[in-house]
Amino acid sequence: MSGVRSPAWEAPVTVAELVNAGPLAGARMYGTGENPVRGVRIVDEPAVFGTVAPHTAVVLTGTAAGGGWAVEMAMRRAWEQAAACVIAPSGGLSEGSGEVLAERLGVTLIFVDEDPLIVAVRVASAASRPDAARTQLVARCATRLAETDLSARRVLGVLNTELPGTSVAFLDPYGRHLAGRRDATGDRPSAVDGPSAVDGASAGAGSSTDEGWSLSSGKGGRWSAVVEVPDQEGGVLGTLVAAGSSRSPGWPSVVRTVLGLAVAPLTAWAARERLRACLDFALRSSVAERVLAEASTSFSDVEPAPGEEETAGGVRVAAVALGWPVDGPLTAYQIRPVTDPGDASTAQALIIAALGHVPVLARAGGWAGWSSLEPAELVERLERCLPTMPWRCAAGVGAPVEGVRAVGESLLGAEAAAYVAGAGTVARADRMGPAELLGALPTGVLRAPAAVVLRPLLAIDRDGTLLETLAAVLDEGGSLKAAERLGVHRNTITTRLDRVKATGFDLDDAATRLALQLACHVMLR
Amino acid sequence: MSGSIGAEELELFSAGARLFATGAAESSYNLTLDWARSVAGQGVELVAAGDLAPGTLCVAVTLAGSTTALSEQVPAGDEPVRAVRALERRLGERAGAVVALNLAAENALVPFIAAAGLGVPLVDGDGTGRVFPLVEQTTYTLGGLSPVPLALAGASGELVLLETAAGRVEELLRPVVLSVGGWGVAACYPMAARDLARALVPGTVSMLMRAGVPGAPRSAAAPYGVRTLCRGQILAVEGSTGHGADLALPSLPSSIVLREPDGLRRLLRLEAHNEIVLALADGAVVATVPDQICMISTGDGMVVDVDKAEPGLEVDIMVVKAAPVWHTERGLALGGPRAFGFPL
Repeated sequence: MSGVRSPAWEAPVTVAELVNAGPLAGARMYGTGENPVRGVRIVDEPAVFGTVAPHTAVVLTGTAAGGGWAVEMAMRRAWEQAAACVIAPSGGLSEGSGEVLAERLGVTLIFVDEDPLIVAVRVASAASRPDAARTQLVARCATRLAETDLSARRVLGVLNTELPGTSVAFLDPYGRHLAGRRDATGDRPSAVDGPSAVDGASAGAGSSTDEGWSLSSGKGGRWSAVVEVPDQEGGVLGTLVAAGSSRSPGWPSVVRTVLGLAVAPLTAWAARERLRACLDFALRSSVAERVLAEASTSFSDVEPAPGEEETAGGVRVAAVALGWPVDGPLTAYQIRPVTDPGDASTAQALIIAALGHVPVLARAGGWAGWSSLEPAELVERLERCLPTMPWRCAAGVGAPVEGVRAVGESLLGAEAAAYVAGAGTVARADRMGPAELLGALPTGVLRAPAAVVLRPLLAIDRDGTLLETLAAVLDEGGSLKAAERLGVHRNTITTRLDRVKATGFDLDDAATRLALQLACHVMLR
Repeated sequence: MSGSIGAEELELFSAGARLFATGAAESSYNLTLDWARSVAGQGVELVAAGDLAPGTLCVAVTLAGSTTALSEQVPAGDEPVRAVRALERRLGERAGAVVALNLAAENALVPFIAAAGLGVPLVDGDGTGRVFPLVEQTTYTLGGLSPVPLALAGASGELVLLETAAGRVEELLRPVVLSVGGWGVAACYPMAARDLARALVPGTVSMLMRAGVPGAPRSAAAPYGVRTLCRGQILAVEGSTGHGADLALPSLPSSIVLREPDGLRRLLRLEAHNEIVLALADGAVVATVPDQICMISTGDGMVVDVDKAEPGLEVDIMVVKAAPVWHTERGLALGGPRAFGFPL
């Protein structure tokens, strides 16, 4: 048993714990409720107060609960006896003066609607077996978590409902809020870009004990608990963070246990989403499109308004569930089928197999997406991917950019690079120049028109000298350099050019020059 | 102290009688004062109980019922005399002196009116040293004297003579008072001067005359001491529960919540049942009956009635210490918190 529960579970329950999550749930509490409760005493007349022990929850009945005066006197006596709290039946009493007195004396006052005697029995049981009371809470949370739908929002909803006085949030691997209450991260350092933020945040939780939570006295007893949620492959899906200000020594430990219960549903949720998306290209593609669309408007910097949170955050949650990178340095890719494009689902499955969890969307007659891999690594993976494709494909990789907001620019680069890349090869947009553009010319297709254009020349050019000279002059931009390249006298060049012009080509016309240079390039490659 | 109360002394006496009196409605008080002025004549002799012949029959005279009713149903003028005469007829003996049951406002003046009408002296002293709501709650009762036979005269000529066990007087008297118009003058506690001298709180009439002198401190009206608890602003006036449900007191319990405007800023609660029975400060008992707890308006210096208390009013809370006999075991049983239903 000791291996399962922390010793903190044996610590006495506090008044706030009784009200927030225990047998007094729903009662109205005035005061901080931070005192531990070690026992219960039923007080039916003022004389009984003389024998009330410290840290006792005093339950008023009979004359002792008979009116505002009686409750006030009871609070005074409770204060004198260092009692934990005063529990009074709510019937007919005005609570205003009790509230004032609770604040003045520092004695917590609780009004209950139920029969005080029944309340007393329940409080007594919680006080005598604090670990049992806490176990009960954990069991209730486990049941609720088992019953809930597999969804990050639902799971966080359960946590925040069942752990009152405690705020729980689910953060993505970049330390940004995905679901739950934002105030759970209230005094954590603001999220930094990049996966390292998670480590930074756990360290920020202070002198974390091996329990994973800490009590920092400096901030009015605020504590926080951090639990990492893995995805089905053992990577980091996100982090559950809980915070509260209860001074109960047992509570953070209970919270941590409950957070632990939520890890499996969250991992299962992400795994199920990934499986579903793997099988369905349209779903995956649509999520990717929405991520891109949202990134251009409000994705990360603008805090969504409370009403729009459901929709705005929804795509982010989906993206995280699918394990997609949405922050840090990102690089886009494009795969271009050289022949007719085939089945998108097959393409997606092969791309994911090679690149890991990345978005795949239909783009420019092929498939595109982005990855957090380095460009060089991405090229390598794509090179391994292309041969696995049942169609001949070329691929391009864009320049690395910062965050999903800028990924559109990288996608354009990837598209261009994929276009210039030859079948079975991968081009990088950041390494692309004029040579690559020329290389991208469909020489096979152009060879026939080129031959037609050059036919008058080819007719007299028996050894190909004229074509070579024309290409050299056009490439080098003049006779002098052409002579140098070909290793002949410049007069030789001039003579050959005259023969070319004699076949009817006007080399002073720019359009003719461009067409001839293109034709030469195609013919000579 | 002996002397006489003339027109001039009457004014001082009546002023002194208001200093700590609760329940004194302005109109009924003025009416009673006018009534007293009209009969003052040559004045009333004021005697100490011990100066009377020991066998002299003395009768306590008091207003019974509601002062509001008194201001609505104007007295005929002969009520005090008729009540005492009825008692004399029953006892077969003439009364030689009149004494007050208590000396709060109208109740101080009615015995004076009776003494003037009967031509007998007024005894310097009273039966409480303060006010209690019940006819039995007197030092006369503590002295072993019986309130009966009791004669009640109403404003429309009614005359009722009560004879019963001492503990049932209030129970029988209250419906009778209601049926005669809400108020009447009662003559009760017929007793010999020697017994009166033993049971009364002495010297209170002359004390009130001294306290009524303009400029005299309010504490002059409190023979056994007075203290100011604190100043408070009324936050709320609530109905109250949990005490006195089985007590037959003339009015319903209420509770006044106040806050000290400065200093400790304590939360105060005054539990009232006919009068202020209990004062709590931050839940601690700071004053109870038999001492008399008063709210004195800081605005006009007048006593604030429990049923006139309203949120926003600022008052000084003063505690008039009761005569020592009230702090005895028997005194507390008759006029302490338990008599008002508080299990203290």
